[in-house]
Amino acid sequence: MIAQQIINAVSLGGVYALLALGLAIVFSIVGLINFAHGELMTLSGYALLAALVFGLPFPLAVLVAVSCGALAAVAMERVAFRPMRDASVTSLLLTSFAVSSLLKVVFQNGISARPQAVAMPGWMTGAFSFGDFTIGVGPSISIVVSALALIALELFLRRTVTGTAMRAAAEDFNVVRLMGIPASRIIATAFLLSGLLAGLAAMLWVAQRASVDPLMGFTPVLKAFIAAVVGGLGSLPGAVAGGFLLGIIEVLLQATLPAAVAPYRDAIVLSGVIAVLLVRPQGLIPAVRVQRS
Amino acid sequence: MLSVEALKIRYGEVEAVRRVDLAVDSGEIIALVGANGAGKSSTLGAIAGLVPAASGKVVFDGVDITGLAPEAIARKGVSLVPEGRRIFAGLTVADNLRLGGAVHLSAPEARAREEEMLDLFPILRRYHRAKGGNLSGGEQQMLAIARALMGKPRMVLLDEPSLGLAPQLIDTVFDLIAELRRTGLTILLVEQNVALALEIADRAIVLANGEVVLSGTAKELASSDLVRQAYLGA
Ligand SMILES: Nc1ncnc2c1ncn2[C@@H]1O[C@H](COP(=O)(O)OP(=O)(O)OP(=O)(O)O)[C@@H](O)[C@H]1O
Ligand SMILES: [Mg+2]
Repeated sequence: MIAQQIINAVSLGGVYALLALGLAIVFSIVGLINFAHGELMTLSGYALLAALVFGLPFPLAVLVAVSCGALAAVAMERVAFRPMRDASVTSLLLTSFAVSSLLKVVFQNGISARPQAVAMPGWMTGAFSFGDFTIGVGPSISIVVSALALIALELFLRRTVTGTAMRAAAEDFNVVRLMGIPASRIIATAFLLSGLLAGLAAMLWVAQRASVDPLMGFTPVLKAFIAAVVGGLGSLPGAVAGGFLLGIIEVLLQATLPAAVAPYRDAIVLSGVIAVLLVRPQGLIPAVRVQRS
Repeated sequence: MLSVEALKIRYGEVEAVRRVDLAVDSGEIIALVGANGAGKSSTLGAIAGLVPAASGKVVFDGVDITGLAPEAIARKGVSLVPEGRRIFAGLTVADNLRLGGAVHLSAPEARAREEEMLDLFPILRRYHRAKGGNLSGGEQQMLAIARALMGKPRMVLLDEPSLGLAPQLIDTVFDLIAELRRTGLTILLVEQNVALALEIADRAIVLANGEVVLSGTAKELASSDLVRQAYLGA
């Protein structure tokens, strides 16, 4: 029981961490909170549904769905954000709101406002047993996938030139351009990574629920946003820490709160967030960023 | 090699640079001097593409580069060492250098060039794996210059390389600039330390309130009354 709860907590935290990382990567480079991040997740969910309905084998369907998230993110940057490169951050924020609302309407009217069932393979809902412990297959896969994604991202950022340039751009974008590295390459990569992470998170989210709906991305991305703020907006280690912290606290409260207080779970979590920010306004692991006019 | 014609720069209502004309020939060191707020950094920024020109023209190697993106100008071989160094504090010295050569050199070329830079700046070899932010001000200045040289630029724009350095270090930096010049590099040097700048430069340009008020060979300027009174404290 306790083992199962811990697994659930880490698995939920992993999903929040992936989403928070996606938000943080884009924020660290462009200074934009992408409100349409949730819709990238929803879109990947629908892409999975469509791929399965078309009869693709499950692993291939997942690949297609995650790629759709990544491509959609790049397309979003091209179409909505790149023309506004020199606009203020407020205009960018409003644009991302607009993109988010537009996509929601497209999902609602183009597909359906109601949840669509996704036929997940049966083994996903199975469980391992070790003596007295029973551990769900779904949450375990979720943990493994999140961990692999975090490691791969870390390697990319540390070992490749583009990854290094992205860490540098988070500190001082203009100087990266002075090195001859194109701004558009850095920004496109940031969106690509955020879309990949949103796509992966969507797979893990759908795997636990076996359905997609037009608002699917809203709640997890809201949580991820909170996680990113708690961790230190724009800080990648902070986003991961915030994501896991939030996931773990949610599941813990879920498991331990008496029934009478349970409806206030989110309120309790948010009070905790406010408390953290009062003590550490820059978040748990603040981002390094050179502020220039 | 580089010519700036009737450059004007505005920040909103403020006219930071009213009119700057200058020309730098291949292999020369030109010093651009003037008081705080004269418009020196803005001029370098406009050449490097960081600051938009309100009017006027920047021509490099016969090509009009006005209004090009900073990355495009960097690829043409113009490298700015910005005011205040602006090294990447969270990256290692090695990574700072690697980015400097990222788009200009192939991987083996970059490794060879990095070795050259580490020979030129031995202190950087010692701190190769350290974070840029942990270096002292002088070491950061060396790193900023080395990073700008990584991509084998044909011209460097140095913005106040002596700022905040101890006198001994200033000498080291200026010896280095003289050394770079001997390798054929073309240098546009912005300096507050006018005496030092005139010692090392071939020609110099004096800016005041966004306009060129005086220009000539370094020798001429060093003996001009205006420069002696206003900048050399004589
Ligand atoms: N980003 C900016 N926004 C508004 N005004 C600016 C900006 N940058 C510079 N200025 C103004 O333009 C003028 C010229 O500035 P600039 O930095 O080019 O001078 P400088 O000669 O380099 O001075 P210093 O020796 O202090 O570095 C100054 O009055 C400055 O206040
Ligand atoms: Mg200046």
